[in-house]
Amino acid sequence: MLGNSRGVKIFFLGLSFLFVATVLFAAGKKEEGRWPDPEKTITMVVPFAAGGGTDLIFRALVEEFKKQVPCNVVISNIGGAGSATGTNEVLRLPADGYTLLASGTHTVAATLQGLTEGAFQIEGIIGLNWDPFIVATQVNKPWKSFRELVDAAKAKPKSISLGNAGMGGATGVASIGINQAFGGAFNVTPFGGGADLLAAVLGGHCDVGIFSQTEVVANRNMPRSLVVLYEKRSIIPELSDVPTLPEAGFPNVKIPAGSYRSVSVKKGTPPEVKQVLAQAFKKAFESPGFQEYMKKNGLIPAFTLLKDTDAYFEELRQMYIPILKEAGLLKR
Amino acid sequence: MDAFLIALEQVLSLETILWIAIGEVLGILIGALPGLTATMGIALLLPLSFQLPFAPGFGMLLAVYCGAVSGASIPAILIGIPGNPNALATVYDGTLMTAKGKASLALGSAVLASFIGGILSLLALVLFAPLVAQFTLMFGPAEKAALALVGLAIIASISGDELAKGIATGAMGLAIASFGVDPFTNSLRIPFPELFRETPLSTGIGLIPVLIGLYGVSQVFDDLKRLSSPPSEVHLQQFTETFPSLKKLRSMWRIILESTGVGTLIGAIPGTGASIAVFIAYDRAKKITASGKHGLEPVGTGCVEGVFAPEVANNAVTGGALIPTLALGIPGDSSTAVLLGALLIKGVVPGYQLFQQKMHLVYAVFLTLFLANLFMFLFQLKGIRWFAQVIRIPLSYLLPIVLILSLIGAYAVSGQGFTTAVYDTALCLAFGLIGYLLKKGGYPVAPLVLGVILGGMLEENFRRAIKLAQGNYFVFFTKPIAMVFILLAVVSVVLSLIQKRRSARLVKNSKF
Repeated sequence: MLGNSRGVKIFFLGLSFLFVATVLFAAGKKEEGRWPDPEKTITMVVPFAAGGGTDLIFRALVEEFKKQVPCNVVISNIGGAGSATGTNEVLRLPADGYTLLASGTHTVAATLQGLTEGAFQIEGIIGLNWDPFIVATQVNKPWKSFRELVDAAKAKPKSISLGNAGMGGATGVASIGINQAFGGAFNVTPFGGGADLLAAVLGGHCDVGIFSQTEVVANRNMPRSLVVLYEKRSIIPELSDVPTLPEAGFPNVKIPAGSYRSVSVKKGTPPEVKQVLAQAFKKAFESPGFQEYMKKNGLIPAFTLLKDTDAYFEELRQMYIPILKEAGLLKR
Repeated sequence: MDAFLIALEQVLSLETILWIAIGEVLGILIGALPGLTATMGIALLLPLSFQLPFAPGFGMLLAVYCGAVSGASIPAILIGIPGNPNALATVYDGTLMTAKGKASLALGSAVLASFIGGILSLLALVLFAPLVAQFTLMFGPAEKAALALVGLAIIASISGDELAKGIATGAMGLAIASFGVDPFTNSLRIPFPELFRETPLSTGIGLIPVLIGLYGVSQVFDDLKRLSSPPSEVHLQQFTETFPSLKKLRSMWRIILESTGVGTLIGAIPGTGASIAVFIAYDRAKKITASGKHGLEPVGTGCVEGVFAPEVANNAVTGGALIPTLALGIPGDSSTAVLLGALLIKGVVPGYQLFQQKMHLVYAVFLTLFLANLFMFLFQLKGIRWFAQVIRIPLSYLLPIVLILSLIGAYAVSGQGFTTAVYDTALCLAFGLIGYLLKKGGYPVAPLVLGVILGGMLEENFRRAIKLAQGNYFVFFTKPIAMVFILLAVVSVVLSLIQKRRSARLVKNSKF
C-alpha cells in the first residue's frame, strides 16, 4: 500500500516537473519568435453589432491590414452598454497585441459615463478618421436653414425636438453640445439607434435629428440637411451643397460633432509589438482600397500614430468633459 | 424587380436549399419531441446561422420555426401530449381520431392544414408587411408604446384562472427587461453599480439566454420526474398517406379562412403567439360546425375539422408574427423575438429602412419562408413514419442532450466575448431554475416572457413619447393610431374578464 502511494507521489512529481519544463520551454521559445506568431490570430474587437457604420469602417480597414501581417485576423463584434461591454472584454485579455480594440469617440463617451475604464487602460496604435455629423429634418417642416431652426428654437425654447441615436454615443454628445451652444433651446431626445431616429424624423415624430453622412445619403427619401457640423463641406457629392456651421452663420460655435475612430491595444503591450502593429496599420490606412472607402463615405482622414494618437485621445476627452458635465452624464 | 431577382438568385442556390432542408428536418424533430418548443429550436440553431450567409442562415431558422410548429401535432395526435404549445388544441380531436383508428387521416390532415395555414399567412405577410412598412413612418414612439401595451394586455387572457399570478410574473418580466443601462441617462440599473460596473451585468439580461433557460433548461428540470415512467407506446400501425377528400376541404372553407385570419392576426399582435390562436380557432370551428350543416362534423367528436382548425391557425401565426417583426422591428411572438435577434446580429435592422434600401433581403425572407413551408409539407408527408418514432426516444437520452444543447446555445449566442458568454450561460441556468420553480408553484411562464420581450420597447417608447411631447402624459390620447391600440388593449382585457366570469358561472351552475 505504502509503496504504491509512494509510486503515485513520484509519478505526480515527475509529471509536474515535466509540466513546468514544458511551460518554461514554451515561454523561452516565445521570446525568440518574432511578433506576430503566424500560428496565432489577431482579433479586432468592434464593440458594436455587425453592419453598423463603425463596424463597416473597421471591416474595410481589417481587409487591408490582413495583407500586412503573416497571421490570421478576425473581427469580433461584442456590442452592448454603449460600447462598454466590448471594451471591457478587451481589458480582460492579455496585453500581448493579439487583441485590438476598435476605439474612438465611443470609448471616450463610455468611459466618462462610468461604464468602463476603457480610455484610461488603452494605448493608441493609429488614429483613423472623423465622420462629421449632419443636422437634418423632414422636407415638410418649416425650417429651410439652420439659422431659421435656431431662431425658431430660441423663440419658443424646448418646443423643437432634437433627436440623437442614443445618449451615450457620439450623436448624443453632439446633440448635447448643440443644445448647450444655443442656451438649451432644444428638447434633446435619445432614440434606439440611427435607423430608429431616421424613421422618427422622416415620420415627423421628431423635429430634427443628428445623422452620419452615410445615413442621410443612403435614403431614397432624403431628409433636408440643414448643416454639416465641420469646418469644411462634405466630400460626398449629394451633400456638397450643405453649409458648414460658419457658413450657416455660426462661426463661433465649436462642437465635437462627429465620430472619431482609432485602433488601440490594452495598456502594457510591449513597445516593439505596438511598433509592428503601427507600421502594419499605417500601410493599411494608406492603401488605395481604404483611402477610396473613406472618400466614398465622406470620412475625413485624421491620421496619427502611437503617442500622437494618445495625445489626440486626451484632447478629445478634455473636449467631452465640459459637455457631459453640464448634461449631468459625467460620472468620472 | 431587381431586388427580387437578387433574392431569387440567393435563395435558389444549392447551399440555401440544403440548409432550409436541414432546418426543416430538425424543426419537425424538435416539434415532435414533447417539451422542445419552436423558440428553443431557433435559439439553439442561432449560433450556426451566424456562420452562414443571410439567405441560408435565416432560411434555416425560418424552416426550424415552421417545422417545429407543425411537428408538434405528431405526438398530440398519437399520444395526446402536444409537442409544444402550438398543438395544445390539436390534442382533443387528434387523440379521438387515433382511438377510432384514424391516426393516418389525422396526421395527414394536420400536415395539409399546416401547409395551407403557412402558405395563406405567407400571402398575408407578402401583402401586408410592405403595406405596414409604408405606414411605419406613422409609427412614432407613442404608437409603438401603445402597440406594446396591446401585447401586454394579452397577459389577462393567457394567465388562465390565475390572473394575479399572471400579472405577478408579467411584472417580473418587465423588471428583468429594465436591467442594465438606462436608455436615457446611461446610468447603470444594476445592484451595486460600483462593484459590477465592468461586469457583463451592465449589458442587462439578454432575451435569448432567458428564453433558452425558460423553455429549454426548465423543461429538463421539470421532466426529471417523468424519468422513471416508461417511454410512450406508439402503436406503429401502418401509416398511409391519407388526406381529407377535396369535397371535405371545400366544405371546410370557412374554418380554413377563419383559422388563417385568427392565426395571422394573433401572430401579428406583439408578443402573443400560437398558444392563444389555436384555442380561438378551435372555438370558432366548434361554433361553425355546431349546426352540423354543409356536411360538417361537429368539432370535438374526433373529426378532421377539429384537427384542421388549430393546425391551420398555428402555422398561420408564422407569417403573421413576421409582419411586425420585419416592418416595425417588434416581434410578434417569442420565436420571432429570437429571429429578430438573428436579424440584428446579421446587421439587418428591420423597419422603414429595410423596405427602402434592402428590399432584396425582404424578398429573400419571403422566398425562404415559402420553401420552408413547401419542405415542411413534403418531408412530413413522406417521413411521418420516422418522425413518429421520435416519441419513443427515452427521456434518459433526451434530457441530457437538451440540457447540453441549451447551454451551448446560450454560450454561443453572445458572440465571441468570453466573459459575456459565461455570464449568458449562467443566466440561462438561473432562468431554467426560475422557470422550474414558477411552474411548480403554478405560476404561468408566458407572461414573464411577454414582459421580457415587450418591457424594453414599452419603456423606451413611453418615455420617448412623453419627452417629445414636452412632458405631456396624455400625448397617447391625441394620436389616432395610439388611441386605437389603447382601446384594443382595454377591450381585450374586458372581454377576457367577462369570458372568465361566464365560464366560472357555468361551472357553478353545473355543480348544483
